[in-house]
Parts: sequence; structure tokens; C-alpha cells
Amino acid sequence: MAKRITGTGINRRTLLQGTAVTAGALMAPNIVIAQEKPKELIVRAWGGAWGEALKSGVADGFTAETGIPVRLDFTEDNEIKPKIWAAVDQGRVPPIHVNWDTTTNATISARRDVCVDLSDLPNLKGLLPIAKPTGLEGWPLVNTYSYVYVCAYRPEAFPEGAPTTWKVLLDEKFKKRSALYDDGIGFNPIAVIAGGGTLKDIPDNMEPGWEFYRKLKANEPLLGEDPDFTSWFQNGEIDIACTISVNARAARESGIEVEWTVPEEGCKVDTDGLWIPRGLPENEEYWAKQLVNYALSKDAQEKWCGALGLPPVYPGLPVPADLQGDPAYPTTPEDYAKLVSIPSPILVDNQPIWFAKFNEIFQG
Amino acid sequence: MTGSRGKSVFIWTVTWFCVITLSAPTVIIIGASFTAGEIIQFPPDGLSLRWYDALIGQTAFTDALWRTLYVSLVCTAVSIPAGVLAALATVRYRLRFRPAIQVYLLLPFTIPLVVSGIGMMVWFGELRILGALWPVGVGLCVINLPFMIWAVSASASALDPELENAAANCGAGPVMVFFTVTLPAVTPGIITGALLMFILAVNEFLVSLFLTDSRTVTLPVQIYNSIRSVITPDLAAISVVYIVLALAAVWLLDRLVGLEIFLKSR
Amino acid sequence: MASAQSAPSLFWRLIDGLEALLRRLVPPKRRGVTGWLFLAPALLLVGILAVGLGYIIEYSFHELDIATYRLKDAYSLGNYQTLIERPVYRNVLWRSLLGAALVTAITLFFAFPYAYAMTRTRSAAMRKFLLIALFLPFFIGQVVRAYGWLIILGKQGVINAMLAGLGLGTLDLIYNYGAVIFGLIQYMLPFAVLLLLPALAAIPEDVEMASEGLGANWVSTFRHVVLPMAKPGLIGAGIVVFTLTLTDFAMPEILGGGTTDFVASAIYDSFFQISNAGLGAALSVALVLIGSAFVALFFSIAGSTTLDIGGEKK
Repeated sequence: MAKRITGTGINRRTLLQGTAVTAGALMAPNIVIAQEKPKELIVRAWGGAWGEALKSGVADGFTAETGIPVRLDFTEDNEIKPKIWAAVDQGRVPPIHVNWDTTTNATISARRDVCVDLSDLPNLKGLLPIAKPTGLEGWPLVNTYSYVYVCAYRPEAFPEGAPTTWKVLLDEKFKKRSALYDDGIGFNPIAVIAGGGTLKDIPDNMEPGWEFYRKLKANEPLLGEDPDFTSWFQNGEIDIACTISVNARAARESGIEVEWTVPEEGCKVDTDGLWIPRGLPENEEYWAKQLVNYALSKDAQEKWCGALGLPPVYPGLPVPADLQGDPAYPTTPEDYAKLVSIPSPILVDNQPIWFAKFNEIFQG
Repeated sequence: MTGSRGKSVFIWTVTWFCVITLSAPTVIIIGASFTAGEIIQFPPDGLSLRWYDALIGQTAFTDALWRTLYVSLVCTAVSIPAGVLAALATVRYRLRFRPAIQVYLLLPFTIPLVVSGIGMMVWFGELRILGALWPVGVGLCVINLPFMIWAVSASASALDPELENAAANCGAGPVMVFFTVTLPAVTPGIITGALLMFILAVNEFLVSLFLTDSRTVTLPVQIYNSIRSVITPDLAAISVVYIVLALAAVWLLDRLVGLEIFLKSR
Repeated sequence: MASAQSAPSLFWRLIDGLEALLRRLVPPKRRGVTGWLFLAPALLLVGILAVGLGYIIEYSFHELDIATYRLKDAYSLGNYQTLIERPVYRNVLWRSLLGAALVTAITLFFAFPYAYAMTRTRSAAMRKFLLIALFLPFFIGQVVRAYGWLIILGKQGVINAMLAGLGLGTLDLIYNYGAVIFGLIQYMLPFAVLLLLPALAAIPEDVEMASEGLGANWVSTFRHVVLPMAKPGLIGAGIVVFTLTLTDFAMPEILGGGTTDFVASAIYDSFFQISNAGLGAALSVALVLIGSAFVALFFSIAGSTTLDIGGEKK
């Protein structure tokens, strides 16, 4: 924080000039025409700690710089997807300007050809390679950070220390006291390994994972979404969960004792990204791109990802103090070696199959 | 009350159990909304109005409330003519295919809301009207229309057709009869139905979820979304807005037609 | 005063104009059409649903192409085949049907005495109180009430806090099937009572007195006199509660803890979570068919019910 501007700091005029320069660079080959500012920009976001981080890290700064208010929309990611698809297909203006999305879902939308190409954003230069989407032409989306689906637990329930294996989920002791995402996201590949399979089995032989789930079902885990985990920990409903570290950290920051760990089977690491739906009026698309560009700037990346406690795609940023050496904040190749990363194309091709299978087991 | 002591004990035990069960969430929510703490809980952690204060500051909620009222007005306004005429038609006229009409008019209840919502989302999208606010009101009208038809047809079947015949015999034309005899007779039904339609539209969330987006989000959807993001006591505070609206509706209903209308036999 | 005098004449002129218009549009000979004209707006409005359903039926015959995430152009029965092949859909359907049956039975059991007390109490104030107790939750909405229950029944909720205070430990009161059923019963109770009221109000108290005067105790009076006479109301309430429960979304989502989905959740998941509109559409069609079959069954057993829209004079 200390290095952030001393005294009066950058005054508003230089900031505005800075924006003008960025704007010029963006329009580079074309004639620079002033794009009318929209009344507001709507960014679909996740709520809770996630939304707060986006607001403080990206939205507020962007508004200060450009004067355009940014509104966060908490429509569920899966729900906005078909709404955007239909709007693009039917030539209507899409309901949002920027979608903050999982890379898998964003890639699906890119395959559906509803994303604006972002290749001309100046801030793409110099980002870590992970920012570039795989298996797609150009930049229909940009990844913004990585995250880990950790094993979060209440230390009170584990007097002998952190759980070393995901198999504890099957322990009778945690009957009705564990939780997973309601579609198994973040755990499906891990279940394969915990069930005795290997990485090579994914995606062709998922059976060990499904077998693991069948045993787990007998232990009646709760199934929910991001904010559920935080409130379940807060309300003492669960002892252990597979959830993104952000949710566990949010519970911890509200004064609840929650720890997390990477058990021997590993944890799934993944990325989220931003993309812009096609079909926006020209000026709104322009400013939406400015917003995405801003989110990739050093300042925004540091604040946004810092608040989330996740490793950004902007290189060389400091690790938040409470996450030094934390398994949920991988930085070195050794860190990543403990984690399980599934290539995006495999996830995209198999997500609906895995979700359906997960459902079949747990709703069956 | 007739009958034995055992009967009255049984009836009133069940009734009071129902009253408590029906009221418990309401009471708890009102209580929780006045908490001074950070999370929803009961009994509240100290008393304060901070969450009401927080609510007023959030234009997201106030905007959503206005949209909800607009949508509900559209819903009610569309439902009155459609419902009144349909009720009169089914009560007054010997229509052919009556069973088929019945089944058809009950489609809003037999088609699950999730299906109705998605179906309308798809069609409104094709019509390029998805994203506007008024179609939401029309959609809500469609799914609750049977309530309006019932309310009016209850009044209409109570109306003696001889009255209309008498008016006609005295030389009144059909329009005249409609406005001076029929309409006044079914007015209590219209008021009841209109209030029901309004309040159901204010509450409806699943179909609204499909028909709104971030530019047109209405209050129930906003609440649902905020439940999914952060469960803070402002949720309880908004819920109290609903409780107040509900009280107002009940009071109005009582003043205009008398709550006893629901006790009338048909 | 002038305006007050001209207003009625304007009114009469308007009426006359309308009469003339009506005569021209619908000659008296063709008055049979009037009923249909009256019905037209409602038919058109409900038509919106019919068209929406048409789209869904159309979708149900196209499978998802994972390469583009669009439905294939080719028609196929693949989605229906998937429904039949995957046992999960049978289980979810069974859970919903069982839930609907349980909720209907229990709700009617509670709603009947409530409605009875309301129609028979001599105290107008009590009657009003019972009506308000009914209307308030009815007007508050499902999502909000479900959250009320989370506060009451949660691990650190009111009930568990009391139990723990008494040294009795805590209970798992939410996130299970029982909680969903309970929440649904509480949600459906006002619907059921409101539909029972007219039927019960129609039963003259004299009939009961006569029965009891002849020596029947109240239980058999109820069984042999009141219940049969209230049948139209019971069937009407039963149909509404059954179909609303069968297709409910919010209660299982909020109180079920994620593993007690009803059919509506499965439809939602197909459309949104796995973006498979074709499969979701097929599920929707199946649900509509099953729901309609039950309604038709009820109607055929019952004859006329309080649900009848209009209907012959009874």
C-alpha cells in the first residue's frame, strides 16, 4: 500500500489524459473518435466476498478514472449464459456488458461464438501465459487469476491436525457435516484420484470418481454454491468442504475459525476470466473493453486479486500477508505440482457429462 | 359452535398450531430485521434500524421496488378486463367445448411455473420484447389469471340472471345491462381478484427470474440474488417491506369488500 | 354544477354509442358469439403459455451438439431416451410425486379444521384474526418464508438454541426431505384453506346439528356428513396443492440442502447448469404430461370442484 502515491498523488487531469491515451491506443489504426460514455456498465459477478473484491479492486477505480458507474449484477453464471446466447441469436442487446465467468463457461460461450474479440487490449501484453485462453482463436476471453478448490475445515473438528486425505469425507463422523458444490465442480477430477484412479483416467475412465461419490452420498454431504459455504461455516452447519479458498477466507475474516489444506490427492486449480458479449451498441462495447483492460492493469490486479486472495495474471505482484506460502496461492512450479489442473478443452467437452453424472448420483 | 367438547378441542388445537406455524417466519423475520449485528439471527443481536438505513441507501433495492410496483400494476390492469369477461362468459353463456375451455384456462396452473417461465422467455425473446418491463407484467398476469377468473365468477354466479333479464325487459340494451347491473354485482369479485393479482405479482419470483435481467430486475429476484450472494440482515429488512405491503393489502381488502367474502359459499 | 349535469348525458351517449356499435358488430341473431368474444382476451393471454409450451415441445426433439452448444437441426427422440435411461430422473420424479402426495394429505388435514373453525366461530373478531393470519404469509412470498425457516430451524437457529440451552443437544432440522415437506405444507396451507372456505361455508350448520341430534358423535358426523359435503372444496384444494407442490422450485432449493431436488430443479439444471435446452425441454414436457394426467384424474373422480371456472349454476 505504501507505494501507492504520496501527497496529492496523481491529479485528476493527468489521470484523464492517461485514459485518453489508452483510448487512443485501443482505437489505434482507426480514426480516434470520442466514444460517448454509457450511463453505466453492468458486470455480472459472484456475490459475497467476490463481489466486494471486484467493486473495491476494479469497479471503483474504473469509475474514478472514467466517471462511468459500474453496477454489479449477481445473476448466477449459469443463468446468464443462455440469456446472453438468446439475446445474441435474436439480435437483442445483451443484458450485461462484461461477464465475470469461469474459464470453462466462458470457453463454452466462445464456442457458441457470442464473445467480442479482445486481442487489441493493450494490457494483454506482459501478462502470464495463463491469461491466454486455450483451444480458442484469438482472445474471446481473458483469464484474470487462478484459484484452488481447497479442502476447507474447522480445526475444532480435526483435533489431530489438518486432514491429509479427501477420504475423510467418507468418515461417519462427518455425516451431514461436509459440503461440495452442487454440480461437483472443483471436485470431479479429485474424486477420481480419491477413488483410486489416476490423472490419466480423466476423462475416459471416471468410474473410480463415481464410485467415490456413491460412497460419499451415503454420508449425505450438503450441496451448495459459493456464498452457501461461507454461511454454512458461519452457522456451524459443516465441518469440512471442498470450496474455493475465497469462501473459506471470507468465513475466517468474519471471525469464524476455518483453515484449509491441500490433501495428498491434490486440489483442482482453475481460472476465471472476463468476456464481453456481442451485440452491444458500439460505444458501450468500447467502454466495456476499457473496463476489461482496466481490470488487467497492475493496480486493479493487485487490489482485486489481493482482496480475493488469489494469484493474479499480472506478473510479479506481492502475495497478501496472510497467504504467504499458502497452498491456495500457488506461485512456483512446485506449488502447482501438488495441484490438479485439467486442460480447458477437456473441461468444456466433459462438463455437461460430469455435471449430469454428479446429479444422477446425488439426486438419485 | 355445535358439538362436543372433544371436537372443539381438536379443531382449535389444530387451528392454533396452524396460526403459530403460519406466523412464525413472519415474526422471526421482523425481529431479525432490527438486529444491530452483522448476520441474520434471532433473537437479534441488539436493536437498531441500521439495516433499514442500509436499504434506503441501496438504489438497487429501491429501483427494484418501483419496478415491482409497475410490473404488478401492469399485471393487474391486464387481468381485470380479461378476467371479468372470461368469468362472465363461463358463467353466463352456454359455451360449446366447456370442458376443453376449463382445461385450457387452467393451463397456468397445470403448466409448471418453471416451464411457463422458460417458454415465455423463449417466445418473448423471439418477439424481441424480452428486456422490456411490461412483458414481465403480462407474463405474471398469465400465470395467475385463474385467480382473477375465480374471484369474479364467484360473484357472477351469485348474481341472479333474472336481474339482468328484468333490466333488459325494461328496455336496457346489453351494454347498459352490463354497466348498470352486471358490473356492479361483480365488483367485489373484481376488487378481490385485483388485489390478489397485484400481491401475487409483487411476490412472484420464479417466472420473474426468467423474464427480467439486470436492467429490469424486480424485487423478488433482487432478494433471491442477494440471498445467493450475501445473506445479511438487509434481506430481513426488505422482507419487512413485503410484510407491510401484505398488511396494506389485507387492510384494503377488508375495507373495500370485507374479508368475509372468502367465506361465501358459491 | 354544469359538469355534473353534462356528465350523465355524456355517459348515456357513450352507452348508446356502444349499444349501436355492438348491434353492428354482433347482430342479435349471432349473440352466441358474444360468449366467445368475452372469452377471447383470456384465451389469448393463456395462449402465450401455449405458444411458449409449443417452443419447448419443439426443443425437446433436438439433441444438444456439444461442439457448438446449439441444438442440432435434426429431429430425434434422443432426449426422451435419455430421460428413460437415466434412473436419476425416475427418482427425482418419484420424490416429487411422493412429496406432492404427502404435502397434499397433510395440508388438507390441517387446513380442514382451520377452515371449519373459521366458518363456524361465532366471533367476528376471531374470524378476522384467522383470515389475517392466513393472508399475511400468503402475501409474503415463498423465498422470504423459506428464509424465515432457515433462521428458526438452522443449526444455530431458534429451536436448536433452545434445545442446546436445555442441554439436549442439537437436531438436524433443515437440509433434508422432511424440511422441504414441512416448508411446503406451511406454504400451501393458505391456498388450501382459501379453497376450502367456500365449500365449508355452503354446509348449513343445521345439517350437522341434525346428525348429532340423531345421536352421531362429532367424528362420524364429520366423516359421513361434513367431509362428503365439502368434497368439491377438498378436491379443488387438493388439485391446487398437489400441482403446486409437484412443480415447486424454491422450497427444495432453499430447504433441501442440494440433494432433494424436485422436478423443477432438474429442469432448471438442464436448461442452465448444463445448458442442454433439449433435455430440459423433454423433462418439461414429461412434467406437464404427468401433472395434467393427475389433474384429469382428480377431475374425473370428483366431477365438479371449487376449481371449476364459472360452470353451471350449482
